[in-house]
Amino acid sequence: MAKLILLCLKFIILSSAVEAVFEDQVGKFDWRQEYVGKVRFSHFDTHVQSSKKVLLATENNVFAALNTRTGELFWRHVDKTGPEGNIDALLQHGQDVVLVVGNGRLLRSWEINVGGLNWEIVLDSGSFQSACLVGQQDNVKHVAVLKKTVISFHYLSNGHQKWIENLPESETVDYQSVYSDGNGEVYALGIVPHSHIAIVAYSVEDGEIIKQMSVEAAWLSNIQASCVVISQGMLTCVDPLTVSLYMLDLHTESQMTQIPLQSLGLEVAPGFHPVLVSTQPNPGRQPLSEFFLQLGPDYYQLLQLNNGQIVTLRDFKPAMLVSFATTGEKTVAAVMSPKNKTASSLNLFSAETGRRLLDTTLIFNMDPYGGKPEKLHVQAFLKKDDSVGYRVMVQTEDHTLTFIQQPGRVMWTREEALSDVVTMEMVDLPLTGTQAELEGEFGKKAAIQDGLMSMVLKRLSSQLILLQAWIAHLWKLFYDARKPRSQVKNEVTIENLSRDEFNLQKMMVMVTASGKLFGIDSKTGSILWRHYLDNIPSNAAFKLMVQRTTAHFPHPPQCTLLIKDKDTGLATLHVFNPIFGKKSHVSPPALPQPILQSLMLPLMDQDYAKVLLLVDDQYKVSAFPSTKNVLQQLQEMASSIFFYLVDSTQGRLSGYRLRTDLSTELIWEVVIPAEVQKIVSVKGKRPNEHVHSQGRVMGDRSVLYKYLNPNLLAVVTESTDLHQERSFVGILLIDGVTGRIIHEAVQRKARGPVHVVHSENWVVYEYWSTKSRRNEFSVIELYEGMELYNSTVFSSLDRPHAPQVLQQSYIFPSYISTLEATLTEKGITSRHLLIGLPSGGILSLPKMFLDPRRPEIVSEQSREENLIPYAPELLIRTEWFINYNQTVSRVRGIYTAPSGLESTCLVVAYGLDIYQTRVYPSKQFDVLKDDYDYMLISSVLFALFFATMISKRLAEVKLLNRAWR
Amino acid sequence: MHLTALLWVCMQAALVVAWCFTDMETGPGAGVSTQPNGDRFKIEGRAIVPGIKTQDWVSTARILVEGEEYVGFVRTDGSFAVNDVPSGSYVVEVVTPNYRFEPVRVDITSKGKMRARLVNYIKTSEVIRQPYPLQIRASGPHTYFMKRETWGWTDFLMNPMVMMMVLPLLIIVLLPKVVNTNDPEMRKEMEQSMNMLNPNPELPDVSELMTKLFSGSKGSSKAGGSSKGTRPAVKRR
Repeated sequence: MAKLILLCLKFIILSSAVEAVFEDQVGKFDWRQEYVGKVRFSHFDTHVQSSKKVLLATENNVFAALNTRTGELFWRHVDKTGPEGNIDALLQHGQDVVLVVGNGRLLRSWEINVGGLNWEIVLDSGSFQSACLVGQQDNVKHVAVLKKTVISFHYLSNGHQKWIENLPESETVDYQSVYSDGNGEVYALGIVPHSHIAIVAYSVEDGEIIKQMSVEAAWLSNIQASCVVISQGMLTCVDPLTVSLYMLDLHTESQMTQIPLQSLGLEVAPGFHPVLVSTQPNPGRQPLSEFFLQLGPDYYQLLQLNNGQIVTLRDFKPAMLVSFATTGEKTVAAVMSPKNKTASSLNLFSAETGRRLLDTTLIFNMDPYGGKPEKLHVQAFLKKDDSVGYRVMVQTEDHTLTFIQQPGRVMWTREEALSDVVTMEMVDLPLTGTQAELEGEFGKKAAIQDGLMSMVLKRLSSQLILLQAWIAHLWKLFYDARKPRSQVKNEVTIENLSRDEFNLQKMMVMVTASGKLFGIDSKTGSILWRHYLDNIPSNAAFKLMVQRTTAHFPHPPQCTLLIKDKDTGLATLHVFNPIFGKKSHVSPPALPQPILQSLMLPLMDQDYAKVLLLVDDQYKVSAFPSTKNVLQQLQEMASSIFFYLVDSTQGRLSGYRLRTDLSTELIWEVVIPAEVQKIVSVKGKRPNEHVHSQGRVMGDRSVLYKYLNPNLLAVVTESTDLHQERSFVGILLIDGVTGRIIHEAVQRKARGPVHVVHSENWVVYEYWSTKSRRNEFSVIELYEGMELYNSTVFSSLDRPHAPQVLQQSYIFPSYISTLEATLTEKGITSRHLLIGLPSGGILSLPKMFLDPRRPEIVSEQSREENLIPYAPELLIRTEWFINYNQTVSRVRGIYTAPSGLESTCLVVAYGLDIYQTRVYPSKQFDVLKDDYDYMLISSVLFALFFATMISKRLAEVKLLNRAWR
Repeated sequence: MHLTALLWVCMQAALVVAWCFTDMETGPGAGVSTQPNGDRFKIEGRAIVPGIKTQDWVSTARILVEGEEYVGFVRTDGSFAVNDVPSGSYVVEVVTPNYRFEPVRVDITSKGKMRARLVNYIKTSEVIRQPYPLQIRASGPHTYFMKRETWGWTDFLMNPMVMMMVLPLLIIVLLPKVVNTNDPEMRKEMEQSMNMLNPNPELPDVSELMTKLFSGSKGSSKAGGSSKGTRPAVKRR
């Protein structure tokens, strides 16, 4: 009992010592941006005239409603990742949206005003093909879902199944499409490739087969790609081989009529597969008889079916994109055509006549660093004078959404590529022009070349510039003070970016999976530059490295992005300036061989760029930059450059040494039997990490020295056997230079996913315990012992004593998504672990809770050391969430960077959302806190001052009186 | 062949029965969930935030089963169902950014029998039954923020250090005013009590002894300028 009370007391003391967010700090130095991902389906909410919603279903399994005025989210629903959460179809009717999810596994209906679920039902297994709303006249009450072997019919109101029917001959016929036009029948369209089309008509009422047809179509291979239904149920297909349209009336005929395109005076661009685009504005009515035929990459033709005859209405050439939109009874076609190199124009055309509507031109300015337009999402509306107005959401290849109003005003843009950040770096901002000028004055070269007089002149001129800048600053302050506060804009642009005094504002360089790079100001979150790299392979792996920081004026900072195709192993380099995003004039070397490993050396060339070594599959090493100076330095250093390679398929870890001729030499190899366990991750320490104290002071005033091996690797393995009794997680600590196994630990009855943090002298890892069905943390700490072997320098080759290893494990009451440790400038501040939870919270857990020296029995010494008594369960306190209610969905990574203040660590969490904040693991000990009470301290000072004055006077009077007595 | 099939059924039945009665120590867990074609079940329940309309919070709520292994959404009336869950033992959580819900462990047998119990990570086999279908009530809003230490007069005065300083001061200032020192009876009483405190007035105290020792036998006439000088004077009398 006493122990418990003591524990409680300790917790109270600790919790008061741990930093949390204060309510008035909300939004002061943190920000969050929410994303949805690449849009797959979009639907403008039209059931209310003044609705501001657009509904989006994305490839990231997100279903969201955006505000069309601002581009912000009304609500968002994030399903699980992978194929099980995949959104197959989106159908809107009124204020309900029906989604088909997980390859036709689930049918969900959402209420779009509230953003809540109406119902969710499980469909029978079978791969999803198509779905459509079924109505009669304007009364839409059902949804039909077509699967490989069955067609099912559900009520929109509650999802209940009305009927389900097996499709006839589903073993041979590949049913691909379902169609209904409100006449009480539902058509399932199937195909036997290169043979015939199968059409089955079902009665809406009971699912009875009304009609079954089989139509000869030997040329057709895919209905969805080459056929649409237009007008009164005319199935229209296009055949690129015979260059003709085929038409079939679903209601009557059993023969396809062929209409050669030549007879219409049309020609298909060579090698192009023509595409048909049709529209059915109301699921309870027939589709329009007008449709688009795309004949070339930038050539569209608007056609109409008129009394069984195809009529050409208008050709659009050049036209990049077309789209139909309907408002009320009017249907229009929006056509995007290139205007000049940087802009394209959009126009509306009447769908019935093909006539251009007046005053509907809209200019879309294309971002030179963005991708090409890919899709148009048009929102048409009726103006007061009954003419059609429109806004358009343009989706480009780089996943950007741009919402434009006439005559070309961009209402908002969303960079949806940021929903999939792969890697990032934070780069210091450059000094201002004047600061740089001062720096330049005392450059090495200048001092030697110039004489005394010119140096004096330079000094004076730079002082003058400083004075000028100061006066300009004062003037601006004065000018701003006169204006009302709302008008004062502090917009951040690339031009006025400069480092602040504590280096808290940095440039976040983010690399996304789509190949778009972003430069984001860490203070405000505004995107300062973007650069879309086209021709990125779809399964590329990225590694971003800072080769030169901003510290080497006048050399520009330089980042290098290594883009590697995971299949072939071939890699390319993209070298750019991280502040401006511009591609560097430095030409990266061509890499003809697959790349196995890349490493940044602390070596610098004469231009202060760090040397990047690339190891190819012949174990040959190439350097970038590879000037003579670099090669010479490499030759001198070669004997002390080691690197390691991991082959996880064969379970092989191998260490190499560089030879002077830039070939390599195998020096060690560790083989982990791949049939028993597989390597899941290998973690070294962060190169920019500083450790301030060499040891820990014990309760008896002796020092326990840390084992600080910078070459230590933590290798995590998981067993291939996943049975809960036999699965295990292993951790190996290997010296990367010598291959010596420092420590080995196995966690039995455990499985992954394993999250690891490796820093200083400790490794923290988290795994799933299959025995107790809970998540557990384990910490390993390494100590040299009571004395240091060689205190001046650490060498892996000369460490005869194995370190002492301490380990302790704890229960963690939640799953975790990602794990990272805070990092500060000098490593004096205590460390916290930042844990991304599936709930979206980011927990800042003090490292002192994960300390293997936590005693089970409290002693005088442990109390002296401030060790918390061991408790098996770690607590999650919501006060420790650094992002309060600003949850980060699907957090995938947390990036930490030191700032200029020792107390402060910058944190960026990225996943579907991006959240940036600062954390103070040991509170703000080096600056005054923002709640510092200036009033109190000054009033106390004044009061004391006056009190002394008064008492002095009184004392004088008293002395005088006494003297007179 | 027929016999073996029967035997197998018996075995399974026995297994199920045994499993139902033994502890959850080694539940079906991962073993079953790895089977691709096992039966799939539905976890149902209702989430309640007292005093808040459901439409104000359902759009931000998610149901997480076993981390993000299975995800469900909340209906507009606050009820939820997570479909397609194989048999096993799962922790079900209602996650919203603003309200706190306690997690619940749900066990599903291979026959689809459900039970809910409190989550206890330390004693994993302990069973404290919860209602099923789940009734998860929010225990209030999340407390994300620490209170600022505000400065007020009451805080200042109630500080123990300040109290310790102020109370003696009060006694020193106020006591002579309350107690009439001119009253001879009172003075007598006080002297008595002083004598009580100093039990033997004849015995010189240590400091006095020291001063005598160092200043020699000349007496303390010079050193007696200070307040100490009064006492020997009394004695001489």
